Amino acid sequence: MTASITRAQLLSRSAKSGAALLVAGSALTSFAETASADALPVLDLAYARLLVGAELLASDFYSQAIAASVTNGTMTKYLKKAYLNEQEHYQSVAGIISGSLNTPAVSGDINFSYPDGTFATPASIVAFAAKLEGIVLGAYLGAIGGIQTNSFKIGLAEIAACEAQHSSYFATQMGGKAFSLSFLPALTIDEASNALDAYTA
Amino acid sequence: METDSCHATDHAGNSSTKGASLRSSITGGRFVALVCILALCICAGAGGASAKSSRIASGITVFAGSSMTSVLPEIDPTNTYSFGSTGTLSTQIVNGAPADVLMGANTTTCAADYASGVTEKPVNFTRNTLEVVVPKSNPAGISSIYDLIKPGIKIDEAASTVPVGSYTVQVLNQMGINAAVQANVVSQETSDANVVAKVVTGQVDAGFVYLSDYVIDPTHLTLIKVPAWAQPKITYAMCVVTKSPNQAAAQAWVTKILSAGAQAIFVKDGFLPLTAPIPSIAKLAPMKAKAGATLTITGTNLTGTTSVTFQGVPAKFKVVSATKLTVTVPAKAKTGTITVTNPSGTATSATFTIA
Repeated sequence: MTASITRAQLLSRSAKSGAALLVAGSALTSFAETASADALPVLDLAYARLLVGAELLASDFYSQAIAASVTNGTMTKYLKKAYLNEQEHYQSVAGIISGSLNTPAVSGDINFSYPDGTFATPASIVAFAAKLEGIVLGAYLGAIGGIQTNSFKIGLAEIAACEAQHSSYFATQMGGKAFSLSFLPALTIDEASNALDAYTA
Repeated sequence: METDSCHATDHAGNSSTKGASLRSSITGGRFVALVCILALCICAGAGGASAKSSRIASGITVFAGSSMTSVLPEIDPTNTYSFGSTGTLSTQIVNGAPADVLMGANTTTCAADYASGVTEKPVNFTRNTLEVVVPKSNPAGISSIYDLIKPGIKIDEAASTVPVGSYTVQVLNQMGINAAVQANVVSQETSDANVVAKVVTGQVDAGFVYLSDYVIDPTHLTLIKVPAWAQPKITYAMCVVTKSPNQAAAQAWVTKILSAGAQAIFVKDGFLPLTAPIPSIAKLAPMKAKAGATLTITGTNLTGTTSVTFQGVPAKFKVVSATKLTVTVPAKAKTGTITVTNPSGTATSATFTIA
């Protein structure tokens, strides 16, 4: 990314990435434009870095879960949809970083690791997905509370809502309730970092 | 040779020796080895006759990054060591310093020296991680790396011209807090050992060092983990100096460093074992198949494979051996190259055709 990146360039790149980005397009462009307009506050960039890491973890998990080919057709369909969502989220949050003239992490930058047997059965995949989505949701909720650039908050909230749907779906697949708490807990940046760290080699 | 060797130590590794001495006085077990190193330098600096009569080293001359001040004499106390910044040591070798082997805290220095004909081909031999250490008393109450952005925290780091300083900047950039942390940096050092010394003595609230620096002095330091997701890939490489008159002994040292015994000492001292080598693909059988078919990939270093993809489409695979994988051609696979990835890197095949 360069300092001269424009909305048109971003949209062009989005288009090249396929129709999937249309869903996240508004967040992508607004994140990038806001980030490039002003120097980012310290915590905003830190949260963006962390969320990029979380999205890379989520994408990596879903890609491996799909490749494991142990789930039935319905579950596989949801895994693929979730994978697509996480990729779109990644593009959006990465826009904060690239828009501020920094380079976001990419999949090869972080090596993820999972507990033994994570991809062995449908149940193990669902259990990990539920746990992962809880972490990612908590990270986004924490970021919404922690970032200082107000214009980022709506985009992050949109992503958090999507992660909440993922979390709810996998909770029901485990036999649990679709929803329960009125106020879901936000993770501090430390807590979110530590949670992500647990699955990083 | 002895005088030149210590000349290098005086300029490149003086602060490292000081830091190591501080640590060895605390940790006991490594004290003898480090005193021997110190004695070598003092004696050589005092005069040739004295140096020769006092010298215990009989091996080769090794120039090494200061993070290896403790571990290398453990592996072989008979060598002559000069510890310092990898880049500085390399410059000294380029300028004719009589080293037999350069052991760096990165892979780039040896690679550059090899490219310019100064050394033989580099060999990776260990890894490390970057961490934050604070004094045991922790007067600033630091419990997380994110605390380092708070105003008023006094931070020490190595200069970005030395490997540990370069890694520090990489970590902070990866976490998005570099600018804020740099605002709290009160000193920049020429080595990790100097950072350790300032943290132990309470001159600063926190410092960036290698994990191995903490492991050799856990009694006076508290470790604040740098998250794995932000860690740079810190790999150490060594290379035999082309002009070394002790080629056989130098090559033997390289072999010794890669031995199980030496590697165990590295790990004991907080270094990390080498990861699996990058995979390679020699053959696909068949070269053309339908989705759902089983494909055999032969190559090398396939044991730690983490993913196989067909033009980005993940595939189900099974590791048969270090040289063989069986792969199910995924439903949405397209004609093109296949990639095999392990934690060290990715191999790309010739074109595979979907029937």
